[in-house]
Amino acid sequence: MKGKCYIQGLAAITPQHTFEGNLFSQPLVSTGANVFAVTEPDYKTFIPANSLRRISRLLKMGLTTALKCMQDSGLSVPDAIVTGTGKGSLQDTERFLKDIRQYEERALNPTPFIQSTYNAVNGMIAVQQQVTTYNNTFVHRGFSFESALLDSMLLLEEGASHTLTGAFDEISAEHFYIKSRIGHWKKEMVNSAALYDHLTPGTISGEGAVFFTLTAAPTTQSYARVAGLKMLYKPSLTALTTGLATFLSQHGLSAKDIDLVITGRNGDNNFEHYYRQLDLGLPQVSQLPFKHLCGEYETAGAFALWLGAHMLKAQQVPQQWFPMVSQFPATLNRILIYNHFFGDQHTFILLERTAAPAV
Amino acid sequence: MAERVFITGMGMITAIGDTVAANLGSLRQQQSGLGFTCYIDTIYKEVLPVAEVKHSTAELSTMAGVPNTPEYTRTTLLGLLAMQEALQQAGISDLQQEPTGFINASTVGGMCDTEKVYFDITDPEKEGDFLKYIDTLDCADCTQRIADTVGFTEYITTVSTACSSSANALMYGARLIKQGLLRRVICGGTEALTRFTLNGFNSLKNVDKRPCRPFDQQRNGLNLGEGAAYLVLESESLVRENNSVILAELSGYCNSNEAFHPTSPSPEGDGAFAAMKNALAMSGRNTADVQYVNVHGTATLNNDVSEGKALERLFGAQVPPFSSTKPFTGHTLAAAGAIEAIYAVLAIQHQVIFPNLNYSEKMEELSIAPETRLLEQVPVNTVISNSFGFGGNNASLVISKYEG
Amino acid sequence: MEDLKQKLKVQIIEALNLQDTKPEDIDDNAPLFGEGLGLDSIDSLELMVLLERHYQIKVEDPREGRKILQSVQSMAEFIQSKQPA
Repeated sequence: MKGKCYIQGLAAITPQHTFEGNLFSQPLVSTGANVFAVTEPDYKTFIPANSLRRISRLLKMGLTTALKCMQDSGLSVPDAIVTGTGKGSLQDTERFLKDIRQYEERALNPTPFIQSTYNAVNGMIAVQQQVTTYNNTFVHRGFSFESALLDSMLLLEEGASHTLTGAFDEISAEHFYIKSRIGHWKKEMVNSAALYDHLTPGTISGEGAVFFTLTAAPTTQSYARVAGLKMLYKPSLTALTTGLATFLSQHGLSAKDIDLVITGRNGDNNFEHYYRQLDLGLPQVSQLPFKHLCGEYETAGAFALWLGAHMLKAQQVPQQWFPMVSQFPATLNRILIYNHFFGDQHTFILLERTAAPAV
Repeated sequence: MAERVFITGMGMITAIGDTVAANLGSLRQQQSGLGFTCYIDTIYKEVLPVAEVKHSTAELSTMAGVPNTPEYTRTTLLGLLAMQEALQQAGISDLQQEPTGFINASTVGGMCDTEKVYFDITDPEKEGDFLKYIDTLDCADCTQRIADTVGFTEYITTVSTACSSSANALMYGARLIKQGLLRRVICGGTEALTRFTLNGFNSLKNVDKRPCRPFDQQRNGLNLGEGAAYLVLESESLVRENNSVILAELSGYCNSNEAFHPTSPSPEGDGAFAAMKNALAMSGRNTADVQYVNVHGTATLNNDVSEGKALERLFGAQVPPFSSTKPFTGHTLAAAGAIEAIYAVLAIQHQVIFPNLNYSEKMEELSIAPETRLLEQVPVNTVISNSFGFGGNNASLVISKYEG
Repeated sequence: MEDLKQKLKVQIIEALNLQDTKPEDIDDNAPLFGEGLGLDSIDSLELMVLLERHYQIKVEDPREGRKILQSVQSMAEFIQSKQPA
């Protein structure tokens, strides 16, 4: 998909200090526990106390990020709310499963069931902001956010003025354990800041909520343009190479036109070969990995897009977050994001500076 | 001018039949699929009726021609059977000949099976084959198993907007075609009964202990059901190229939101009204052209008031025949939109309107009543199919007879 | 009766996570829904769960529930009417 799609506003609750303040001066947050938890803001300023009392962690994260994003965009009610989530509200799903067992299917509180529904965050945003138009939620692992992004690009093409597009996922101790049983996480404890030095099976776990306001036309405030998006399902290495080449050529670009690649590298040697394959297709292009900032989760791609959009607007890299990188590009016109989720869902996003000179 | 989107294949499995033809037969014989569960482990086994597919999971895997192993959950198997029929009906033997998308819908993924072993999975003392269920915990798993079994390699994804999920999957697929991203997309949803969902709806106190009575004054909630359905959507150009048989046209659709309450619709049916009105406008038809509405009609206290008000607002004094087919299939959640979209196509193909079972007393809030008779040999050229869900998600589809 | 109402208020606050409310803030006769505490239909389901878990009283019909859950007073009266003398 090619897009006339501009990022007008954004917000993120992630393990880094991303919700407030200047990201270029925020210190690098790291963890040695193989699991990253988000830095939570004070939700009270965003959600009325009468609502806050009932809603669970992921819903708070999602709703607050969405509201902050709308503030940041300076735009009114969006024409659509489109989101992606790999797991929805895990805590509610876990709680309802436990309640069913504990109370033997009797006298069950409906709240965890309602909130375990994958579109619960969308429903809450719609109610709080009175958005009565298009509303959709995608739940396909590493395609969840990117499908929401594609849907939003279609909507903008169909005439929507702006969409609220986001992603959210949380990790719980229980789910961390569950996924450890199928080898998702490293067996040895690693410091997240040194993630890429430990090329062993598994990665580190993470979570986050990220929202964007996307518009069909640029403004002076726009962060960047989402110029292209491509999803590849279980590609072979050859198909990945061809996919990248086709993606670039569809946009009239070649490797030399890309100033920076944000890659989803995560220190997992089971799937490192895909990133190595990408390196071959993009020789001499600067790279920034990002999983040491947010951990691995289904919708981590949204974090990468958030990071890329900030860098294009500021023409600057938050260098303090990348102690493992020695050289940074001087100008940023085009950023390519390449990510995959445990080898199955592969995604390319092409991000351009709003006023990028033509190639 | 965006391309028109045609339906060229359909496949389904529900409590009233393993195929599209079997579903049509049961609808015509007014044979409900409601009864008590054989396969869910619940204290409500003989209390709450459900519309269960009449095959064990092992039988389903044999029918689908895959091994009876944890990788294939009941959700996946139901979906796989419906998908195999849809492909066959559309005459698609090789998915590689034309880049084909797959947009699936699910509300709880493989919960039907994972809930049985969840506490083993979280118990470090336990080891075993059940660990294979870990992959099936989310909604993407069933989509990928189906995709990998039948050979989808292009774009696949999964939608989850509660009870409107597969209607939204169809809409998204149609939009991908209209914008030229793909020429063929197969869309629908799959849902297996689970103790989780049954207890969820029961905790909301909206499950009826009797067979559900949509649009009846004495209605007292829904019955859950299970099943899967997929529709093959193709662009006009692809249809012309392949000389495909057109079953019907997906001529209009709309997704709107109530923005009212997490689980209840607005009393005046604002979301339902907007969804139907906009979908109809998109189809280029007007209210007088609509000969049948397959309503969401869950038989919960709130849905039927809200949806009924919306019908009265949209059609005024000329509300066309409408019925809920939920007394046949139960509420199949993520699969409901696609199942009922197929019923809409069947209504057009066979010029038939399906009855709303279990109705006897008009609702005090409404002046309209559902169609309770099976109407044969009636002109049906344009049908609205409604799917409304939690989170205020409303979706309406307009399905039209292909007339060139 | 007074003890029961006091206990109910504590249980309501806990069940509904009314963090900034104290038992003495809840008037016996004030409506729990809408104006009063500002509760909604999901709270009413949670209060029915409270009745079932703490008092073993099952309210089947949500329409009946609405009458019982009007206020702390009405809840207490209902509980008393259901308990053996």
